[in-house]
Amino acid sequence: MTEILRTGASGRTSFASLTGSGQLVLGVLLVALCLGISAAAPQFYSEANIIAILRQCALVLIVASGMTMLIIAAEVDLSVGASLAFVGCVGMAVLNATDSLALGLVSALAFAGAVGLVNGIVVTLLRVNSLIGTIGTMMMLQGGVYLFTREAVQNHHQLASFTALGAGYWGPLPIPVIFAVAIFALCAVTLRFTTIGRYLYAVGANERAVRLSGIRSARLKLAAFVVTGLCVGVAGLILASLMNAGQPTAGRGFELTVIAAVILGGTSLTGGSGSLFGTLLGVLVLKVIDNGIIILGWNQDLQMVVPGIIIILASYFDLLRSRHHA
Amino acid sequence: MHDDPTLFSDGAAPAIDIGVPALELRGIGKRFPGVLALENVDLTLEPGKVHALMGENGAGKSTLIKILAGVYQRDAGTMRIHGRDVAIRSPRDSLRQGIKVVFQEIALINEFSVAENIFLEGHPTDRLGSIDWRKIRTGCAELFERIGFAIDPMARTGSLPVSQQQMVEIARALAHQASIVVMDEPTSSLTPKEVKLLFTIIRRLTALGIAVLYVSHKLDEVFEIADTVTVLRDGRHISTRPIGSHTDDSLIQDMIGRRIVDLFPRQRGAAGSRVALSVRGLSTTHKLSDISFEARAGEVVGFFGLMGAGRTELAKAIVGYDPISAGAITVDGRTLAPHNTAVGVGLGIGLLSEDRKVEGLMGELPMYQNASLASLGRFARHGFVDAGRERQAVQGFVDRFRIKTPSLTQKVKNLSGGNQQKVLIARWLMRGLKVIVVDEPTRGIDVGAKSEIFSLIDELAGAGLAVVMMTSEMPELLGLSDRIVVLAEGRITATMSRQDATQEMILNAAIGAKGRTSHEFRH
Amino acid sequence: MSSVTDRALGPPPVWRRLIGRQETAAFICLVALLVFFSLTADNFFSTRNFTNVLGQASLTLIAGIGCAVVFISGEVDISIGSLLATVALPLIVIMNDTNSLLLGVAGAMAVGLAVGVINGFLSAYLGINSLIVTLGMMFTLRGGVYLYTGQRAIADDAGLDSFIALSDGRLFDVLPYSAVIAIILLGVFVYVLRFRRFGRQIYAVGGNREVARLAGYDVRRVKFTCFVISSLLATCSGIILAARVGSAQHIAGLNFEFQVVAATVLGGVSLSGGIGSLGGMTLGVLILQFLSNGLRGLSLPTEWQLVITGAIIIAAVALDELKRRRAHGD
Repeated sequence: MTEILRTGASGRTSFASLTGSGQLVLGVLLVALCLGISAAAPQFYSEANIIAILRQCALVLIVASGMTMLIIAAEVDLSVGASLAFVGCVGMAVLNATDSLALGLVSALAFAGAVGLVNGIVVTLLRVNSLIGTIGTMMMLQGGVYLFTREAVQNHHQLASFTALGAGYWGPLPIPVIFAVAIFALCAVTLRFTTIGRYLYAVGANERAVRLSGIRSARLKLAAFVVTGLCVGVAGLILASLMNAGQPTAGRGFELTVIAAVILGGTSLTGGSGSLFGTLLGVLVLKVIDNGIIILGWNQDLQMVVPGIIIILASYFDLLRSRHHA
Repeated sequence: MHDDPTLFSDGAAPAIDIGVPALELRGIGKRFPGVLALENVDLTLEPGKVHALMGENGAGKSTLIKILAGVYQRDAGTMRIHGRDVAIRSPRDSLRQGIKVVFQEIALINEFSVAENIFLEGHPTDRLGSIDWRKIRTGCAELFERIGFAIDPMARTGSLPVSQQQMVEIARALAHQASIVVMDEPTSSLTPKEVKLLFTIIRRLTALGIAVLYVSHKLDEVFEIADTVTVLRDGRHISTRPIGSHTDDSLIQDMIGRRIVDLFPRQRGAAGSRVALSVRGLSTTHKLSDISFEARAGEVVGFFGLMGAGRTELAKAIVGYDPISAGAITVDGRTLAPHNTAVGVGLGIGLLSEDRKVEGLMGELPMYQNASLASLGRFARHGFVDAGRERQAVQGFVDRFRIKTPSLTQKVKNLSGGNQQKVLIARWLMRGLKVIVVDEPTRGIDVGAKSEIFSLIDELAGAGLAVVMMTSEMPELLGLSDRIVVLAEGRITATMSRQDATQEMILNAAIGAKGRTSHEFRH
Repeated sequence: MSSVTDRALGPPPVWRRLIGRQETAAFICLVALLVFFSLTADNFFSTRNFTNVLGQASLTLIAGIGCAVVFISGEVDISIGSLLATVALPLIVIMNDTNSLLLGVAGAMAVGLAVGVINGFLSAYLGINSLIVTLGMMFTLRGGVYLYTGQRAIADDAGLDSFIALSDGRLFDVLPYSAVIAIILLGVFVYVLRFRRFGRQIYAVGGNREVARLAGYDVRRVKFTCFVISSLLATCSGIILAARVGSAQHIAGLNFEFQVVAATVLGGVSLSGGIGSLGGMTLGVLILQFLSNGLRGLSLPTEWQLVITGAIIIAAVALDELKRRRAHGD
């Protein structure tokens, strides 16, 4: 018996060091990247560039906050990229039609939330594997957005408040960053301190045990899908504001960047473990790499290759980590 | 295109030498995290003989079989086949050594035809390597005819009733040219007629000089078919004797090893009179039909049944986890409707599942979160968890149950089986139940920890809970229950009070229709 | 209870066995579609249109064989769309350099093989979820193509007759060569899945991994080989596509993987492995191809096809899941 306890105890320390070291490695990597890029290209540290990076991070982080919750609950949403484009078009079209910022925002958020709800229903009620089910909704959204509009929906009224959504500042900080920080904080607090957060981890760790404990796991997952959808809504509006139009082609590959960031941040695809802080680090690392590619004058198409490779590597490390403790 | 002749049995035709044992195991040991499954086990199989391997659940029979099949690897000991030392590292090695294991859980591909499953280890091919389907069909038909077996070779295997699938599984042992055939509880789902057929098949195998290892815990069958009996208990070798030198009592004595009464000193008083759980006419689409019983506060109702009798199905249906097709469940006078666990737990009925890993534990999460899962809402204010109060409450249970853990944040998967079970019991006690359904509460738990779990269950009933216990272990049943209900094939076949119950009565009721024929065998 | 006794009496009659199968439903669906478009769309019901559709369908059919094989083994491969664009690069570049179709095809095959080996190694041997592996591969390959081409098409300057024949040549002036290739490959793999031990091992591994292992099969090697097959077949599709567009295009095969997956699932090949047939997959491909052909005939936007395909994927998997739950009784 003592022997069992001893191995158990050592297992714990090594796990703590591993997760801890995972985020530490990520932090060190981030610092190294920043130093390396700025050594090669001093303009990396210009105010304009840092703000550009933060803005880029904001979009990803907003969606990644919801996605982290979803992946912790052992589900995933691949439709976020397609939804991002559609949301922008819908928001812009309503804005054009009504000349009302409030209506535009509400309709875009409602649309995005509805997409999340549909994803949630497909996964919980129809019991379709979320990877496949959300590929299905992704295709429907991709086709649907072209049926909705052939070309970009231009911003007709040029409402200042709408432009501010993407391009505005609050003090020294871009407004998208404020949104990202707020959503990040909200999700982080939910995951860390509330019953809902604890149940999300529990569902991801063992859904049957959660059901047997009298907790309605399907509703919980449904909520996580809707929250992710709403996050996409916010990000889609900001993107439309930044591009001053609703672009049906926007957001291609966005889902992969988001998932790569989450997995890179140490959240396990098998569910039940992970943290939003890790996701934040993951987003920063990916976006600094992206920015480095541009600033060093490398081919921008590398931006597509990098998350592809990182997602495979990160899931391999995730697998190693779980095997190590099996 | 990707043929690999080594996959198939042709090379392993039995080379039978009567003087040399077919299989010799010496000092076999196997350890799992938290449990020593086998320790220093010896076993010798002679060609042309039936060797029975007996023991209670958890005695180590299945582990031994899985080592033979190449599913597990032994940690210690030697293995000789026909006098040669062998290493079995994979199922393929096992097959190549001429071992064929007939598993209790049916190892057939559901989507394949019966005939194809018979030849799964090696489809017969023509000169060009194309599969000869005609040979598969006729080969299977001939085999079935030879052993008097009426199943359509072309039927889809998954569409057959379980008993026929089991027979297909057994017939595979004949098609495969094995020199050692291992059968793990082969009769657990067979009809009496099929059992008779099985014994004919076994005699045919031994006549060919094949060594048969017959794993069972049914006395009747073993006396009928075996030449020698080896008994395991708690992972250790207890005895190996010719069947002729055994009596029912001596075998049971070897299997159980101690007098049941001494093991679990009952602490609690008599059961109350308030009905805590009432089940009326419960049926499910696939297994259970017309189950009715009551459990009173402070009472332990023990359900006994053999494999496949419907114990786990009943446990899951009562708590609202699995759907029911008819019947009503009432907890403390309130009906469980709609039929789901959220309502069930709300009414105060919960399940301690037989499969801790799959249905109980959240292995990756800290131990205290596992304990508080069902009662998290109690530690929350406006949705925020008061971690201090939560941990304090869990610490209380750690002390009270003597849960051995280095800290509250230890991952629960790193605890031993007994301590994990205590965590899960604590989960329900923190929630405050009126009825707890426990399914095989000591499965996979060390002997030492077993009695602790027993006294916990005793304590639960003593505290006024109604306990519904599903078990396949006789000592557990007799030691803990106030009342005993026996299940067979999804129905209740007997109900008796503990005082009136004898092992024989219980077993007879559990064997049900099958038992009557196996008695015919004996007379 | 009655159903159990029915089963005990013997196998169900042939018609009932057929009714239970998704292939039957797919077949009825295809016939209904043909009748509907013949009545409503212009120039739909003609030999010319049908052989055209067959030619168009050949890409999906060839890659669909690989997709079905991987599905049956219990895995997924969604990197094939990007692979289509990737293999066109060595093909066109080598042909432009050497004026040899054979060398070009060899180069394409080598790249396809490498991708299949990587997919198979990561999924089957390292045990990473195959959807993630091939999703990552999908983006890596596509990004690689963008990088190499600078998002501009590389034209086929060699203009070899044999290469051009792949796109517009017809056997006996009727059947496009691409369709002929598809039919031959289909025949080969129908034979493999039915008459080779390896084919049966694929079904067994996908049907029940543990049982297959107990029967002595090398589960990982079977799965690995399936990934290689899938990549090589997708390479064939990529070569035909390159011939059709006469160049290596960076956007070639975009969303192709999802069409193939949809067709395969629609044809009754189960995502959970072990169930399905190439016949069913073929029906699925034809349904989707005639659907887009007919929609064009009705002058409806072809994006409807994407929407319908997405819905079909969800519906087919949901039905599959429902059937499984019924069979297991929970």
